[in-house]
This record gives sequence, structure tokens and C-alpha cells, in this order.
Amino acid sequence: MIDQARYETLAPRAFSYPLVLIACVLLAGVGAYCALTMEHAGHSITGMNNHVVWGLPHVFAVSLIVAASGALNGATMASVFGLAHYKPVARLSIALAMSLLVGGLLVLVLDLGRPDRLIIAMTTYNFRSVFAWNIFLYNGFLIIGAWYLWMMMERRFNQYVPLAGRVALAWRIILTTGTGCIFGFLVGRNALDSALLAPMFIALSLVMGTAVLSLAIIALNRWTAAILNEQLIDSLSRLLVWFVLALVYFSVVHHVTNLYVAEHHEIERFTLVGRFSGVFWIAHIIIGAVLPIGILVYKSISISMHIRLIIGSVLSLMGGAALLYVVIIGSQSTPQSLFPGKTVLSSSFGDADIPAYQASIWEWGLGIGGVAFALLLCLLLLRVLPLLPESLTATEPRQ
Amino acid sequence: MSFGSSSRTVQGVLLLIGLILGWSSMAGEPGPVIPKGKGEQCVAETDFMRRNHMDLIVHQRDDTVIRGIRDEPFSLVECVDCHVQLDEDNQAVRIDEEGQFCASCHAYVAVKIDCFGCHAAVPDPVVPDPVVPDVAQQDSVDGSHWLPNKQLLAFKQTLPTAVPPALSHHKNEADTVRSE
Amino acid sequence: MKPTPSDQNKAVSARRSFLQRLGLLGAATAVAPALLPAISRAKVTALKGVSDEQRWGLMIDTSKCATGCDACVRGCHDEHGISSTGNEHTDAQWIRKIDLQDNLTGQESSLPMMCQHCDSAPCVDVCPTGASFKRADGVVLVNKHTCIGCRYCMMACPYKARSFIHEPVTDQKSLAPRGQGTVESCTLCVHRIDADDDLQPACAVSCTEEGHSAILFGDLNDSESDISIAIAKHDAQQVRSDLNLNTGVRYAKL
Repeated sequence: MIDQARYETLAPRAFSYPLVLIACVLLAGVGAYCALTMEHAGHSITGMNNHVVWGLPHVFAVSLIVAASGALNGATMASVFGLAHYKPVARLSIALAMSLLVGGLLVLVLDLGRPDRLIIAMTTYNFRSVFAWNIFLYNGFLIIGAWYLWMMMERRFNQYVPLAGRVALAWRIILTTGTGCIFGFLVGRNALDSALLAPMFIALSLVMGTAVLSLAIIALNRWTAAILNEQLIDSLSRLLVWFVLALVYFSVVHHVTNLYVAEHHEIERFTLVGRFSGVFWIAHIIIGAVLPIGILVYKSISISMHIRLIIGSVLSLMGGAALLYVVIIGSQSTPQSLFPGKTVLSSSFGDADIPAYQASIWEWGLGIGGVAFALLLCLLLLRVLPLLPESLTATEPRQ
Repeated sequence: MSFGSSSRTVQGVLLLIGLILGWSSMAGEPGPVIPKGKGEQCVAETDFMRRNHMDLIVHQRDDTVIRGIRDEPFSLVECVDCHVQLDEDNQAVRIDEEGQFCASCHAYVAVKIDCFGCHAAVPDPVVPDPVVPDVAQQDSVDGSHWLPNKQLLAFKQTLPTAVPPALSHHKNEADTVRSE
Repeated sequence: MKPTPSDQNKAVSARRSFLQRLGLLGAATAVAPALLPAISRAKVTALKGVSDEQRWGLMIDTSKCATGCDACVRGCHDEHGISSTGNEHTDAQWIRKIDLQDNLTGQESSLPMMCQHCDSAPCVDVCPTGASFKRADGVVLVNKHTCIGCRYCMMACPYKARSFIHEPVTDQKSLAPRGQGTVESCTLCVHRIDADDDLQPACAVSCTEEGHSAILFGDLNDSESDISIAIAKHDAQQVRSDLNLNTGVRYAKL
């Protein structure tokens, strides 16, 4: 398959481009400052404590990591499933995926108690640990992504693009399974002890990745004042609907099966009608699923498909993050039941009740800084490498 | 003399002055001033310790934490015990504080110490120990009141075969390393 | 020209100095880091490492444990230099007291909860760097030299027995290193039990001093030991035995 389209670097003419660039630099700087402050003062300045040990930074980090895996979908559609209208955005899709992963890992690493010991994490492995596998999966994703991109960009190697695409597809399914397993293998936590989390994370990655890719395509299109491939917009919209439905399916199955298990009743009460019911029903189900599906499906509403896709993407991103908030923070906010059949009268350490988690400004700063860094990295890649087709920057796609 | 060559001459002179100043300041620098430890000598020869203390500590660290071996001589607790200094009020000064035993050298060579974020940088104040009899008097030079070094003493008896005859550089005044 | 005595002395002195340096070089080579284990083992006689012949554990007799008494917690904190920072949710909780009431009978009981020193410890499985590990004698520890502070072990622990150090620590005890950004938990007082066979963990000592003797320490592998006999006699239970972790801490009359 020879690539006929011409590609070029991002040459923005719009005024908003430098503004976005400056905003990203500033926000990434704020993130770095927050990380330094957290490392210096310790995690006591954050909302995290010995009950809720993973907080908002992990919601951001996991969001970015699953979105990275999903953002590669654009390239997969072109190279593996042979959809020609995805071909112009295949390179962008890979660059975006790699940038998002680096941003997510950065947040994860900067939240460590000892980020200065990253070298230990990279050189000392416990192969029984899902976390250690994930380090390999993430590094492998970056290497495969770079290889995939190289095969695409070097005309001599274009014949290997389908192979690279298949390898990348398999790898990112394994990667997201691994990310889901980080949570699914925790036998001691009633809320997380389920293998269903792995497929749910794959659905989540497709939702968030497709949403981010859609937003990136539309944003770049605006900057370069070009005509966008309408077929692509339509396809992305339909994909997003299916992915959101898949996510809701896994989420519902997870909770319904939990309702049958007596020992999970408390956590389900907590999630569905208790402290996290607002995040679950309003943010995850209504904002993250019902509204985006409605906006993308009911074409009688007289707004353009671009706007529909923008709103649908933003809403499903919010819903996906909300689901991660419920999975990560909700699971830690219920007391762990140690003594079935007994009630905890008192405990010096929250065996009876755990106070609500309140994210601090430092955690918000670190998380948003990571997102900004990912966007900055992606813009940098687009600026130095010919990743955008002329179809996106100037004219109609060449066939 | 053209303008260009005079400029070059000035540059050359400035460079020469800079080199001389830099060299003289390097030559004049006394190196870190290391406070002297207690007792006659360290667990091994001073020069050897200067070069290898980090390996000794790291090695013992793994032996102790993972294998529970606690009677080896190269223990950080013993380092602190011997080399800690007392201030005017007879209070121990953190060994990683500026000018103290660890910090003076580490500041000089610009190597960050990662020990005392977790490890005690001063010896434990003596508390009556019901099991181990207090033998502090045998070990401390100036009747200081820190914990005993009985393991160290035991090791020292085996020392003559472990390291070459003591080339004791311990003087009564502070031990100074010169930059060479 | 014939050398003067002074010159001869200088030469001798120089030669001696050279030989000394040579000897030093030899010594330095011999005790090179790679050879360190061999050297130190050969020269130091009384080396005692842990072995899997023992498996240290605790048995807690909940019928002897008094409601409202926290002597074990205080004993542990004194031993390890743990002091409160004023925020109970970020403070270290190596051992905590829990008061329980049976839903059916209404009977109340009290017990200490700490690291259960599981044989199949979830914290050991999940640790990415292997910093969370189990010693040969069954004590589950955090090697803080390789702990990166990811807190995955805290997510995995069914007992919430681990604490993350949320702020800089000073004034540590010599034998209980603790530092910001790493995870820690009950060490079964390894610094005590390694040093002397007669020394018991601080919590057990404090409990006995308080007159309750609810915490029994000993070797679970030795069927003749007091703890093994007591566990058999009381049919002491594991907390969350459904997880099949083979805990090293057992509870009698739970």
C-alpha cells in the first residue's frame, strides 16, 4: 500500500496557536512546580492519606494512559481495517498516542513518594507485579509506536505498515488489559476484585482515545483553516457512540454482578446510592453516556456534525474520567471489611468510617500539568515531523 | 600593531590571568575539613574507607535488611556513633549538617547523601538497656554518653588480619584532605 | 659520591612509604566491592542470618485484650520513634486497636491489627521493584532502599496495615529508619528479634508489662513452641481466612 498523500509539518496561521502553546507551557510549568512542592513537603499537603493512597493524580494519569491506547485507534482503522478515510490522520493518531502516554507516565512518576528513584523502577523488577509488567508494556508501546510511525513515514518501508499496525493493535489491547489488571488483581479490595475491569478499561480507552483524537483533528483543522474530511467526522462520531455503549455495558455488568455478591453489597450501596452516587450517575452515566449518545445520534438537533463531535467528545471524556474517579477513589473510600458478621465500634484508623477525599490544589496542578505536557509534546512532534496531510492543512484529501 | 592583534593580545593576557587565578585558587583550596572520629582508628584503613565506604555500607545494607545479618562491622549506625560531633551544649550535631563528618566531604565532591532522609543522623540517646550491659566507657574517648560499640570492638580484634597494618593517619587535629 | 646517612634514611623512608602504598593497593584490590561478601564473612566469625527454619509469628488472645487499652500501640510507637503529626489519616499506623461487636450475639471484643506477615503476601506480589519482600523467616518487610513510594502495596493489603510517610521525618531511632516518601509497616521488631533470641517485639512486651499478656510471640514452625501450642489449643483464626494468605498473625477467640 503506497501512501499517495503528501505530509507536512504543522504551520499554523491562526492566532490561537501561539496562545495554546503558551498556555500549555504555563500549565506544564505549574504542574512541575506542584510536583516539586509535593516532593519537598511530602504528600501530607495533598488530599491523599493512608486510606485513599491513590488520588486525583492517578485519575489523570490513568485517563491519559488509557486515552493514549485508544488514540492509536485512528492509525489502526487505516492500517489494519483498511479504512481509507482514516489514513490522513494515522500519523497524527500515533503521535498523539505516544504524547498522551508520556504525559500520563510523567504524572504517575511525579506522584511517587521517591520520584528521584525512577532508575530503581526501571532497573529492578519484580515479575510477579502487574505494575512491573506495565512498565514493560508502556515502554514497549512507545517503541512500537515509534517503529509504526517510521514505517509509515519512510516510503521504502510502507509495505510493513499493516504488520506494524497489527502489532500495535495487539500491544495496546494487552497494555490496556494490563492497566485494568492493576486494579482488577487487588484481592483485598471488594470494589476492585474483578477481572471485568480489564475489558472495561479497553472500552474506556477506546472512548477516551477516540474523543481526544476527534478533538485534536477538529482543533488542528481550525488552526489551519482547511476543509475537514466529513466522512472522517461521521465515522468518528459513530465509533464514539459504539464505544460509549460498550463502556456502559461493562460498567453495568460489573455492578449488577456485584449486587449478587453479599460481601460486595456495602461497596455497591456506596457507589450507587451513597457518597459516590453523584459522580457515578450524573457524571459517568448522564454526562458521560446519555448526553453524548443523544447529541451524536439525534440528528434532528440542528447543529453541525463538528460541534456535535466536539460536545460528544468533551462529555465522554468527562464521563470516562468520572468512571475512573469512582473506580480509583471510590474503591478506597469504603472501609475494608475485615471481620464479617461483626460491627466495628471504634478504631484508631478508620475501620468504621473513612472521611471524604478532597483533592488539593497541588494534585489538580500536577494532573492538569501532565495533560498540558502531553499536548505540548504532541504539538512539538507535529511541528518538527511531517505528520499532517495536506488534506488537513490545505486542501481536500488526495485519493 | 593593528587593532585586531592588540585585541587578541588583551584576550590572551586575560586568559592567562584567569588561568593563574583559577589554578591558584584551586591550589590554595584546603579541601574538606573532616572532624576526627572517636577511638584509635576506623573499621578499616582511612584511605580505604574514603574510597570504598559507600560499597561497604550498601553491601551491609542488603545483608541486614534482606538476610537479617546485624553483626557485621560496616554499619551506618556505627559510622554515626564514632564520627558524630558534640556542640557546646554536649548535644550531638547531625552528621549530615554542614561541616560535619559526612557533609564536609560530600559537599566538597558534590555528591548527594541519600542516607539520612531515613536513618538517624545522630546516635540514640542512651537509655538503660535491660539486656545488653552498658560498655560505653570502654569505647568512648571523652566519656561521651552514646551507645556502645561492642560489635565494632569485637570486630576490631579480628582486624590485623583483615586489613594491612594500620597506617594510622589519625592525628589529634582535624584530618584534612588536600586536593591534588 | 657516597650517600650520607640522611640520604639513606630518606631512601629507606621513601621505599617504606612506597611499600606501604603497595600494600594498601593490594588490600584495596583484595577488599574490592565484588569480593566483599567473601572477605567480611571470612573475617567476622559470629554471622547470623535469618533462615527458614523459623517462621516468626504472633498469636493474639482477644479475650485477654482489654477495650480502651493501647499499650501495644504506644510500645510500638516508642520503639520505632513514631510520633503523631496531628493528622490521624496520614500518621503512621503500624498497629491499631479495633473494638468489635458481634452482629448476632452483641458480644464486644477488642484486638490489635497490624501487618499479618502473610505467607502469600499480596503486597509482595504487587511491588514493582521487589522492595516489599518476605524474609526467609516469614517476616514481611519494606526495603526502603528500593521503595519508590508507589503505594501499590497499600492498595493490595487486605488489612490496611501499611502506612505511607507523608512528610519529612527527623529524630529517627538508630534501629528504626523511617523516611518521607516510602511505605512502612510492622516489622515484627526485626531489629530486636535478630539481635537476641530472648527479645520480643515491643507490642508483646508492652502488653505483658500492662498485665494482659494478650500478644504471644514465637516460632510457628516449631510445634513445641508456646505459640504453636496456644494456636492449637485455642484454634486461633486468620483474619480474612477466605483469602487463604496463611497469615503469621493468628487471633484466638475472635
